[in-house]
Amino acid sequence: MKHVSEEQLVEHFYGEGCARVEKHVKSCDQCARALADLAIDLAELRSPQLPVRDDSYGERVWLDLAPSLPAYPKRKRSWLNGVWLDYLPFYAALGRGLGFATACSLVLAGTFFAGRLWEQKKQAPIATAPKPVQPHQKQPPPQRVVVVVLGDHLDRSERLLVELKHADADSAEDIGPLRDEARTLLVANRTFRQKASETDDPELATALKHLDRVLGELANRPGGLDAHGLAKLQNEMKSDRLLFEVRVLRSRTPEKQVRSTIQASGGTI
Amino acid sequence: MFRMGKNDHATIQAILDGDKEAYGELVRSHSATLLRVAWRITGNEADAEDVVQEAFLRGYRKLETFESRANFGTWIYRIAVRCALDRISGRTRDEVCRVGEEIDPEQDQVQVADEAAGPERLLLSGEIAALQELALQELTATERTAFVLRHLEGCTGEEIAVALGIVPNAAKQAVFRAVQKLRQSLAPMRVKA
Repeated sequence: MKHVSEEQLVEHFYGEGCARVEKHVKSCDQCARALADLAIDLAELRSPQLPVRDDSYGERVWLDLAPSLPAYPKRKRSWLNGVWLDYLPFYAALGRGLGFATACSLVLAGTFFAGRLWEQKKQAPIATAPKPVQPHQKQPPPQRVVVVVLGDHLDRSERLLVELKHADADSAEDIGPLRDEARTLLVANRTFRQKASETDDPELATALKHLDRVLGELANRPGGLDAHGLAKLQNEMKSDRLLFEVRVLRSRTPEKQVRSTIQASGGTI
Repeated sequence: MFRMGKNDHATIQAILDGDKEAYGELVRSHSATLLRVAWRITGNEADAEDVVQEAFLRGYRKLETFESRANFGTWIYRIAVRCALDRISGRTRDEVCRVGEEIDPEQDQVQVADEAAGPERLLLSGEIAALQELALQELTATERTAFVLRHLEGCTGEEIAVALGIVPNAAKQAVFRAVQKLRQSLAPMRVKA
């Protein structure tokens, strides 16, 4: 068994020993006796009687000391180093609040301007440097396709109506090609009527409706078109002013646009 | 161990603002404590009073360095300990030896002249305190101060270390060496008694 050293006993006596020392001293008679001897020796070292001083001792010390003490110069309390220090906690709290608000404002402003810059940067290439589109890749807008084809359709319909106006019912050579052309135009015309109703173009829809009736009569009349039927169609065309309406509609479509569009798609006028 | 006035910080601010008289409040509050520790360390009443004066003087001059978070009582107490330590450090071995004392080179311990007064008389007359004082005087300044702070003032090893400006382990060693020397010094007297 390893005994406790004298140094450890001293520490233990003054209450700063470790638990191991305490446990050992309790179980070891030799160390317990050593601790007891130490306690006896140190108990004899009592504090000698302190010099007696009355309550005025402090005052006397001060009276002796005061003449040799120079007074500290009065601290000037300027705004930067003085009175405001008394309210430092208040200013600190206020400053923290204002700082937080300022930081939030800066973040918001920064975000806003960053967003604006990002938008401008994103839009700039479109506005300043449009991406070149190859002719074969160009996809005309749906409305433009209708316009182009409608112009062609109206053009063909106008020619058909002109020929029909001057056709001779007795001449099979005149009526036959007109009937074939009317059948071709009839299918397209119904498509255009539906499209015109969807695009809210009543003038076009009305004209195409009249044209549809004429084309249907010309294409589908049972037994073919006789003189009476031809005369009836011609009268309807005249009463409806169909040819005039078709011409007006065709004039609404710019000639230049029609031509260029048809050229772009490989067609000719 | 240390006493802290509730208004010490306000008093210190007043002093630093030029109110010298306010320091009188601190002096009156802490003089007795400083005298006690100074007397225990120096073992001399006159020296102890000088230490008290010097400690308050040093404290006043260093008051601007006093941290508001600290305890003025603790702060001025440490200054007093340092002052007392400085005072006993300046003493020579011959100065502390009383008339009739001589050093036994073999045992390296103080022997007190009998002068027709045996140990019994010393014990009975209370002069044992004088023997203890002689034994204490044999210690180095650091050992004596550490022992006084530990044994009489009830300071912890950590507090002793701070007061003396040494590491805690050195403070423990100083206390141990002091106890060892004192026991050796007082052993013959105990045998005689």
